[in-house]
Parts: sequence; structure tokens; C-alpha cells
Amino acid sequence: MAKINKNADIAPSRHEKKTFGQYILLLILLIVTILMAAPIYLTIVAAFTDETYIVQNGFKFFPGKWSLNGMHAVLRYGKQLGTSYGVTIFVTLVGTALGLLIMSMFAYSISRKDFRMSKFLSVFLLIPMLFNGGQLSGYIVFTNYYHLKDSLLLLIFPLCVSTMNVIILRTYIVNSIPDELMEAAKIDGAGEYRTFFQITLPLLKPSLAAVGFMMATAYWNDWQNALLYIDSNSKKPLQLLLVKIQKSIAFLLSNSNVPASARAALGGTIPQYSATMATVLVVIGPIMIAYPFFQKYFIKGLTVGSVKG
Amino acid sequence: MKSFWQNTWKHRAHVILALPVFLVLFFIMYVPMGGLVLAFKTFDYSKGIWASPWCGLDNFKFLIASKSTFITMTRNTILYYIVFTSIGTFLNVVLAIAIDQLFFKRAGKIMQTIMIIPVFVSYAAVQFIVYAFLSTDTGILNNTFGMTTRFYTNASLWPYILTIVKIWKDTGYGSVLYMSVLAGIDSELYEAAEIDGAGRWKRILHITLPSMVPMITVMLLLSVGNVMRSDTGLFYQITRDSGILYPTTQVIDSYVLHAIFSSSNFGFTAATSFFQSIVGLLMMLFANWMVRKIQPENALF
Repeated sequence: MAKINKNADIAPSRHEKKTFGQYILLLILLIVTILMAAPIYLTIVAAFTDETYIVQNGFKFFPGKWSLNGMHAVLRYGKQLGTSYGVTIFVTLVGTALGLLIMSMFAYSISRKDFRMSKFLSVFLLIPMLFNGGQLSGYIVFTNYYHLKDSLLLLIFPLCVSTMNVIILRTYIVNSIPDELMEAAKIDGAGEYRTFFQITLPLLKPSLAAVGFMMATAYWNDWQNALLYIDSNSKKPLQLLLVKIQKSIAFLLSNSNVPASARAALGGTIPQYSATMATVLVVIGPIMIAYPFFQKYFIKGLTVGSVKG
Repeated sequence: MKSFWQNTWKHRAHVILALPVFLVLFFIMYVPMGGLVLAFKTFDYSKGIWASPWCGLDNFKFLIASKSTFITMTRNTILYYIVFTSIGTFLNVVLAIAIDQLFFKRAGKIMQTIMIIPVFVSYAAVQFIVYAFLSTDTGILNNTFGMTTRFYTNASLWPYILTIVKIWKDTGYGSVLYMSVLAGIDSELYEAAEIDGAGRWKRILHITLPSMVPMITVMLLLSVGNVMRSDTGLFYQITRDSGILYPTTQVIDSYVLHAIFSSSNFGFTAATSFFQSIVGLLMMLFANWMVRKIQPENALF
């Protein structure tokens, strides 16, 4: 009862706070938000602006002439874009699922209290955060010793396990999943594996959603590993496609997957501005659409991860 | 020792559960660490890392002899780190406080959602958006203000451009962490201060800011460990890896990436990588040591 009264006390004083200063603050934040959103908005607008209009007048927030040609050009890359989409989706799904599974297995193991090897495993997990071989030795080891050049494995494994993510999962297990639950399962005759898969893993869901979304974003946006290791068109993810478009839009025109007739039809007038923006839009679109649905988990995960248990 | 192995045998299921991550870390993170010996070798592709002949400190002599390249990129790496971290932290905190103070909670939430979006756009894509702003003929900046600035050949402008891009991309996301600290402040503190006659600014100064200090300290200290590492995409993609811009935009990470593609001077690159890893390690140990002194519960190890 006391609590309700207390809240009732706050309410009117909160109401008073709606002062002139609040409107100014709102205005400033609105302006900041608009500035932050402007580049994204520009991408969307430019993707639907007429190509010759951009060439003549430059990029505009409010263009004079709309057109779907940019989008049409994207569709004309056709096969390559479809393939790249497939590669990116495959790598993102497999990488995220695999990473979440093995990282939560590891996190579960090292959080077992009387498991004495967990100390060693924790240190083993931590060292890569302090010290690493750098890009060059990674590149030489992966290509010269593992012979994985042009293999999708190199898009999946380097991003699969991260020390920080394991720490987030472990913190969640230690702080939010009562040990008694696991003990009870064991007393009821469940084996170690069954306890993990049927008790711990389902309870880990909020944390998995947060870590999973961050991983998926990292996979979706990874251009560096692709640029370093992937050569063949059939394995090119979306981000690499973007990088290559930048290197030269001519790349797409000389690409064997673009039919000769289409190439001829494009002729000299490559719709480079609106088409590249349309491609950008197609590449970043899915993450932007998915993000608001995951925001809740993702903010929670960030917060949990920041405080080590 | 015997009981250790008995304990391990008893927990063999846990060993098996931990095995996949152990293997991934071993092959992806640990094996390449061995590659750092390249810094002391003359790399021969046909012989591989181990069989390549040793060359002592020759590679490091190169490094010091090449003053400009090495010093420029080290300087850039450190300066950008300082600028990004100081401005970034400041803006994250200010934005978090601003949104927290806003009476219109729903509007605040929506604005925050919008401001986080840029962090999800890869640099490969951001690069095109930046181009739309900076291109000489079609760029928005030149068109709007009637200028003819050639941004992509003018190195002196890039520290500002990169800082703005970085702020745009990371501020919304960076403020989330601080928002969570603000949400944890006991509202009775504010009420008490209000009753005592403290105005809004006074309350921010004496309650809000002090309660954020621990988190700010920890975040700053932990970031010290990454002083030698940069946001590679920012420096490699946004600048279009343009040589003219190197004096102000090349950092160690983008240099190494570029060197791998041009397969040039692996000895030099290996020495640079070695330098980067060792300094990184020292800074990380230092950062952790500091956190341990100030706030033991937030230390990494």
C-alpha cells in the first residue's frame, strides 16, 4: 500500500516537469535524430532517383525525378545478387547457430563449480583477448597451412567464437539460472548432456537472443574476411559484392553471370549512382528491418555483458 | 595432481562440452600467434613460416629506417584512438543524459532506436553513403554550399570526415550502456535533492554524473587495451584505400590489410604486426591492472 502511495506522490511532480526547457531538449534531440537518420534516408531516396537527374544535379534529399531504374539495375545483376544473398544468409545462419551452441556449451562447462579444469579453460579463453597474431599471420596460416583460401569456412569460423560473448553467456548462467535447477535435474536422473540441452539452454534464451543478434550483425556486415579469402563468384557474400562494386562497377558488367544482352542494353549509360545506392539498400535493408524486433534483447544483452559476474 | 585428473574424468562431459570452442580458439586464435615469429624471419612463401630463414632484427631495422611510414601510421592510430575515445565517450554520456532527462519517454525511445541504426550498416555500405555526400560533382556538400572541394584528394580534411563518420555510426549505440546505468539510479535521490531545492542542472551535476563515473572509468580503461587496433573498415573503406590520403588516414590495421593484398614487404608488415600485438598486450595488462586497483569487480582477470 505504501508503495502505491509513493507512486501517487511522484506522478504530480513528474507532471510539473513538463517545462519550457523540456521542449527545447526535445527539439535538440529531434534535430540530432534527423541528422543521424539523414544518411539512411538519403540512401533510400537515391536508390529511387532517376540516374540522369543525379548526374546533372547531384544527390538530393528531395530529388526532382523519381525512377525505378536503380532497382531494375539491381535485379539485372540477377544471379550474382541472388547467389550473394544466399551466401550471406547461409553464413549468417550457420555461423550464428554454431557459435551460440558451442559458446553456451563452453560457458556452461566453465561455470560448473567443482570442475577444476575450468580455471585453465577460462585463462585459455581470455588470452586471445589480450594477445593475437594479427591479420598477416592469420592470413598466412589460414591460406598456406590450412589451405582454406576461397572456402566459406573462413567466413564462418573467425567470427564464430568471441571471448566477450562467452563471458556474457557465462555471466547469465551464473547470475540468472539457479544451480538448484541443474542439481534437481541430475537427481531426477538426467545426464550432463540432457541437463544442459533441456534445462540450461532453454533458460538461456534471453541471453542467446542478445548475443545471437550481435553475432548475426557481425556476420552480415563482415567484408574483411570475404575480401581476404573469397575469390569465386559463387561464394561471394553481399558485403564483398559492395566492395567490388566500389572497386569498379565495370566488374559487374564484365561478370559472366550478367547476360551479354543485358550488358549491351546497359551500354555506356551504367546507372552507377542510383544502382549502387539501390544495392546498398538491398544489402542493409534486412538488418534494419530485423533490428527493432531484437532491440529489447539486444539492449539487455549489452547491459548484462558489461557487468562481469 | 592425481585428484585433478580424477576430477577431470568425473567431469568428462564438461570437457566434451567445452571441446568445440577450445578447438576453434586453438586453430583460429592460437596457431596464428605462432606466425608472429615472422617478424624475425625473411618470409619465403614457398618455404612457409617455419622453414623461412631467420634474419634477427633486420625487419625492425627496416621499421625504424622507414621513419615516415611507420611513424605516420603509429601516430595516426594513436591520435585517432584519443580523438574517437574522448569525443565518443563525451557524446555517449551527453546523449544518454539527454534522453534520460527527457520527459517525453516514448519519443525518447523512438529517437534512440533511430540513432542506433547506423551501427548496423557495414562500412562497405557506409562508404557509398559518404561518397554521396563528398563526391566532387554529385556530392551533397559541394552542391548545397556551391563548393568544388575535392574531398578525396585532400588529406587534411580527413581527420574531420572520419571523426564525423565515426560519431554518426557509434554514438547512438554507445549511449545504450550509459542509459542502463542511469536507469539504475535510485529515484529517491533525485526527489531528496529536489526537496532540498536543487535545480535540474545541480541534480545532473551532483547525482547523475557522479553515478556514471565508475562505468566511464571502466569503459575508458578497457578501451586503452585496444589503442593499437582500429576500426579497419573506417580507415580502409571510407577512404577508398586512397594513397593520397595515407598521411592522415593510414593506421596500422589498414596498412597491414593493404600490405596483404599487395603482397609487398612481408618482413616490414610482420614487424609492424609484432609491434602492434606486443604494445596491445602491454596496454591491456596495464588497463586491467588499473581497473583492478580502482574497481576490482570490473577487472577482466
